[in-house]
Amino acid sequence: MDQLLPTEILEAGQAFPGALAACGDLDALLRLKGAYVGREGSHAVRLMELLKAAPKEQKRDLGAAINGLKQQWEEGLKARQAELESAKKNLNALADRWDPALPPPTPAQGALNPLNRLMDRLVEVFRPLGFHVEEGPEVETEAHNFDGLNIPEDHPAKASSDTFYLAAHPELLLRTHTSPVQVRTLLRVAPDLTARGGIRFLAPGRVYRKDEIDPTHSPMFHQVEGMLVGHGIGMQHLKGTLEYALRALFGPHTEIRLRPSYFPFVEPGCEVDVSCPLCGAKGCRVCKGSGWVEILGAGLIHPNVLRYAGIDPDEWSGWAFGMGVERMAMMLSQTPDLRLFFENDQRFLKAMGGLD
Amino acid sequence: MWIERKILAQEIPASAGMDARQLSELLASLGFPVDGVATRGGLEALDVDITANRGDAMSHRGMAREIAAKLGQPLTPIGTPAITEQSPVIEVRLESPACPIYSTAVLELGEGATPQDVQAFLLALEASPKKLPAVDASNELLHRYGHPTHAFDADRIQGAVSIRWAKGGETLVTLDGVTRTLTGQDLVITDEAGPIALAGVMGGEGTKVTEATRRVLLESAWFDPKTVRAVARRHSLHTDASHRFGRGADPAMAVVARDLLVGRLQTWCGAKLVGVWTVGSVPAAEGALVLTEPLLTRVAGEPQSLAEAADALRRLGCSVAIHGDQLSVLPPTWRHDLAIAEDLAEEVVRLRGYEHIPSVLPPLEGPPEPLSASFLQRQRLSRRLAHLGFHQTVTYGFISPEADAPFAAPENPAAGRTLSNPLGQEFSVLRASLLPSLRASAEQNFRQGAREVRLFELAPTYVSGPQGPAERHTLGVVWGGALGGEDYLSPARSVREADLCGIAKDLGWAGLPEVHALGEGLFGFEVPVAELPQAAARIIPTFRPFSRFPVVERDLSLLVDLGQSYSTLAAAMRSALPRDILQDLRCVDVFRPKGLPEGRQAWLMRLRFQADRTLLGEEVDGWVSAALMAAEALGAKLRA
Repeated sequence: MDQLLPTEILEAGQAFPGALAACGDLDALLRLKGAYVGREGSHAVRLMELLKAAPKEQKRDLGAAINGLKQQWEEGLKARQAELESAKKNLNALADRWDPALPPPTPAQGALNPLNRLMDRLVEVFRPLGFHVEEGPEVETEAHNFDGLNIPEDHPAKASSDTFYLAAHPELLLRTHTSPVQVRTLLRVAPDLTARGGIRFLAPGRVYRKDEIDPTHSPMFHQVEGMLVGHGIGMQHLKGTLEYALRALFGPHTEIRLRPSYFPFVEPGCEVDVSCPLCGAKGCRVCKGSGWVEILGAGLIHPNVLRYAGIDPDEWSGWAFGMGVERMAMMLSQTPDLRLFFENDQRFLKAMGGLD
Repeated sequence: MWIERKILAQEIPASAGMDARQLSELLASLGFPVDGVATRGGLEALDVDITANRGDAMSHRGMAREIAAKLGQPLTPIGTPAITEQSPVIEVRLESPACPIYSTAVLELGEGATPQDVQAFLLALEASPKKLPAVDASNELLHRYGHPTHAFDADRIQGAVSIRWAKGGETLVTLDGVTRTLTGQDLVITDEAGPIALAGVMGGEGTKVTEATRRVLLESAWFDPKTVRAVARRHSLHTDASHRFGRGADPAMAVVARDLLVGRLQTWCGAKLVGVWTVGSVPAAEGALVLTEPLLTRVAGEPQSLAEAADALRRLGCSVAIHGDQLSVLPPTWRHDLAIAEDLAEEVVRLRGYEHIPSVLPPLEGPPEPLSASFLQRQRLSRRLAHLGFHQTVTYGFISPEADAPFAAPENPAAGRTLSNPLGQEFSVLRASLLPSLRASAEQNFRQGAREVRLFELAPTYVSGPQGPAERHTLGVVWGGALGGEDYLSPARSVREADLCGIAKDLGWAGLPEVHALGEGLFGFEVPVAELPQAAARIIPTFRPFSRFPVVERDLSLLVDLGQSYSTLAAAMRSALPRDILQDLRCVDVFRPKGLPEGRQAWLMRLRFQADRTLLGEEVDGWVSAALMAAEALGAKLRA
């Protein structure tokens, strides 16, 4: 039958499968459809004109051939259209699909300062024992910082080489420890100490000493002071409280050790060691192999400190401790340089302070 | 202080069998931690830490006394040569109560040198031997027995010797070659030509013992601790002698140390005694202390036997008598630190060992106090800011005057906040504001490559006043850099002043904070914490009903003059609207599209209405036009 058809139609028929496969989208397919089976100027229109003009005896065979071709084209186009439509649908679905692994918008994250966090933690640890927080000014009088604490008038700490003084007020200084808060608090509560049933508090805060800045010294640092006054308070109560608190901080298997020492405002005085929280007392770099790290100084309140505040040391007694916050933070975090705590690099603060 | 183990064992033979580690543990348990061990010239020495109250422990004999008391083992008696006091060869006058006893001798030196073992001992303690027997013997006695002595070249002393207060303006060249100008509070040894030594601190260059010295005058005295401390401090001259006299030497050792020194010079270099005598006497002991059983029991934490306590105190050298339920205790002449009953109780507990103290939680005698509102407020603020993405800084309270000045109010002069002895000018003024420190921290973070910096600090700032600087808790916040642009949904933009206002508002600051531009794209504000709202006193506030009817929202796009005050416009619009029905009125966009008249900008105002009924379209239209009229009265126009 093919000899009845012109050459260009035959060629178009042969090219059809290739052209169909080359249609990458529906627009191309539409154009192809127009060229083959469109209403104007298409191969199908040409074939129909051919059929009309054909001699009668050929019409039958030619008609069958033309129908075969047209059917082949229409089916091919339809199948390809379905294929392309489905592909488009798939693409649309993919475009709509959310990849959860893409970095999401995240709320900004800040951090508390590690030193404040450590102080807050200490407050939390002592709260269940009935301790509250007392605070005092950083600019203090010599009386509160030294005299009320049984520190002799010629003590070297009073020298201008050790303590910062105010130029316009020679009697004022930057407190060298949080202990003046003891003096202030005892003076305030002394008149109604009996009604209160004694007093117990923590005093966290910033203190100043005239030290040059280096990896282990800073002219400003933090301390937490603890004090308890009651009836019949002795070393057993100091030990009991510190054992509770240091276990709450470092874990239930923590051991503590008291060693005799001396501070003018306590008698007896002691240094307190804690079994190394980093190695579990097995011996490491932090505890220098000893299994113990020094954590704070403490003792029973010197009777002169109570007397200065107007509290009768024959009736009342108590204990006090003081710890260096940076020292403890450095030990726990193994931070090699104290200055990092005052550089305020956000990376350091995020890593060391974090959120609650 | 270095303690050499062989000499220690000569003083307390019971220590001979202990190794350095055992000794260190024993000493630490007594309150003398050991910082290290060093071997020099084959001798092993421990670096012992001695607290300021224990001048008596600053020698091998002192350490031996402690070990002997702890172990209940005997000390080796001090072997002094038999020496009889004679009449003075040189007149010695005690003219100040700060020197109650002065024991001395004059010797003619012979041939001979400091023995090798003594030189090795001194080297082991990092005390360099001078190879002059009189000097080395004095030095060796100091380290061994803790009593400082001094040898003068007797032939350089002119006439009588006095121990007296210096006269203002007198000078002395001390052994370190420094010319010291003296005051009336300096205790000196003088001859008739003037001062020859700073008593208890350092000898004088003019009378020092040299290779040429033929005759020596020995000094073994006792000086008042407070005086010695003051002299050492005044001249910044801290010596082995001043440390020991300053913390309280043993007055009873004055004669003993003199005898020991004489004996050593006789043995070491065949010195001949010319004269030996003592002026003054050991000061009378203070009265006995009373230690009661209840005090001892309270401090120790459990009942204590008075007999055992008496035994412990006796081992420490005290004279103890038991009277009923109390002890009458006379401390030994070397223990100046035992001044009150509590000191004695400590000694009993210390000797027994702190490891025996029981562990007891103190009973609660009264109701616990709450945490103060101010403390809780600061805790809450810092947590809130941390959750808002800010990092809490800690910076020094003192800054440079240049950094302080731009942020200090005129009524807050720096003079009232200036330190007299700062570490440096950059740390000399107590800051009036946190912003300079926060800015410095922010800049540091940017230098380190931070894209965005959010910092805050809660710390006192200072206000000069007649009574000195007043402190007030202040919150400072800085924010700068680029915001967003770090994920596929958040557009990037720079931090703006308004961002800081939003933070202040979030913290409850009423009104607008003063936002400072602190550098390119860096802004900050600070507020007194006391002026921020505290947590409400009530746990749950009173219930206020809210409408369940729908909210009607309308937007008005207004053209306003550049420079139009937003708060004036918003207030004017608000006043035209029913207060109980207007839920919210706010500007939600500010823009200047092309084609806008010169000097104008567009504000998109959003109004929200709600009532306890369904609102009608016409009434809302009426309010919106009323609001528009109010805005028009201020020159605004509806944008077409």
